[in-house]
Amino acid sequence: MKIEGTQKIGAPRDRIFAALVDPAILQKCIPGCEQMEKTGDNQYKAKLTAGVGPVKGIFTATISLQEIVAPEHYKLVVEGKGQPGFVKGSGELNLRDDGGATEIQYTGDVNVGGLIASVGQRMIQATANMLTGRFFKVLEAETTSNNPASSTGT
Amino acid sequence: MIPANFDYIAAKSLDEAISLLAKHKDDAKILAGGHSLLPAMKLRLMQPKVLIDLGRIRDLSYIKEEGGQIRIGAMTTHFQIEISDVLRRSCPLLPETAGHLGDMQVRNKGTVGGSLAHSDPAADWPAAILALDAEIIAASAKGDRVIKATDFFVEMLTTSLEPGEILREIRIPAAKGKAAQAYVKVRHPASGFAVVGVAVNLSINGGKCQSAAIGITGVSPKAYRASKVESALKGNALDAKTLSVACAHAADGVDVNSDLYASAEYRKQLATVYTRRAIETATARVK
Repeated sequence: MKIEGTQKIGAPRDRIFAALVDPAILQKCIPGCEQMEKTGDNQYKAKLTAGVGPVKGIFTATISLQEIVAPEHYKLVVEGKGQPGFVKGSGELNLRDDGGATEIQYTGDVNVGGLIASVGQRMIQATANMLTGRFFKVLEAETTSNNPASSTGT
Repeated sequence: MIPANFDYIAAKSLDEAISLLAKHKDDAKILAGGHSLLPAMKLRLMQPKVLIDLGRIRDLSYIKEEGGQIRIGAMTTHFQIEISDVLRRSCPLLPETAGHLGDMQVRNKGTVGGSLAHSDPAADWPAAILALDAEIIAASAKGDRVIKATDFFVEMLTTSLEPGEILREIRIPAAKGKAAQAYVKVRHPASGFAVVGVAVNLSINGGKCQSAAIGITGVSPKAYRASKVESALKGNALDAKTLSVACAHAADGVDVNSDLYASAEYRKQLATVYTRRAIETATARVK
């Protein structure tokens, strides 16, 4: 399943890129990410509670950041396994400076398997779009707030 | 498939159910007809610790006309709506929608309140409830709260019901004059859910459309009002040209669902075609 789109955020590219590689901010952006523990260079182990409405599954996931070319490109790879199935996804983000604001172009590929894929197939694409939307919404809030140290806030 | 362990409490009254929900909070789920909740529990996609059953509360199941409105208790089954003489006379869209819903077992046990509170993105009721400008009454310890249908559906499986609130009643404003109503649906062959479902509620006077309300389900992550179609119909004679211009806007402004059965492009086309069919069916009925 493909996910792609562009998102414009009214913050400088450097600040957004710094946020995207900061595990504390990343943890807030990834929907349902409850804890993130560093296991190596740009490698993390995470606990995710992902789902929609009352239907939720707990996943243990590895998150890694690859192909880092600051401040314009990186790849986020998430592999999660849990009781309702598995999720494997990778997304490439390209950041373009747009006169003080930043345009983020993203393309991702997500594979979902197991129980959640067989019974929830008709809702998976919409769920993926919704979670992607939440990721960027939080990223926007984190990078456009006045407090530069917001990664330690709330 | 066996659900995870849970406690079961049959509430004897709505007040008791409200206080049980206040006590158990997020650990509890309200059980209505159970035809969405129990399958999800068997698959362990939902694991509530406590089920609060409304099934023994008799005064939550009714259909009556009161105060210029039709009032339907949340625990009224789909089948009771399907066969209601009151509704067939005063709001035929509801019995028609009920007849399209699920299968016989689901219609016999499933409830209108349960279905709305679950808010499946392809459920049939949301289309009709939106087209009828219904109000949803949520009861809690603080009393009743009235929620407009257009504010009720938030996203997939998510409504604007607050923690601690129980959907108690659905209110439909009585139609002014004779309404032209219809529900048409592309039924998913396996699940019976709507691939596309369109409910229309029109008033026609002197050959022209006076008001139009169109609810569409299955197309997007939540049911919506096709407001661009509505405004293109209003004040116009419902001829072929008006319909083809108006119905092209059936999926405007929404994210269109895509799954193995129907791509987004195909669904959008279905929305256009079935909106037109719904309008034609409704208008033919009042001629």
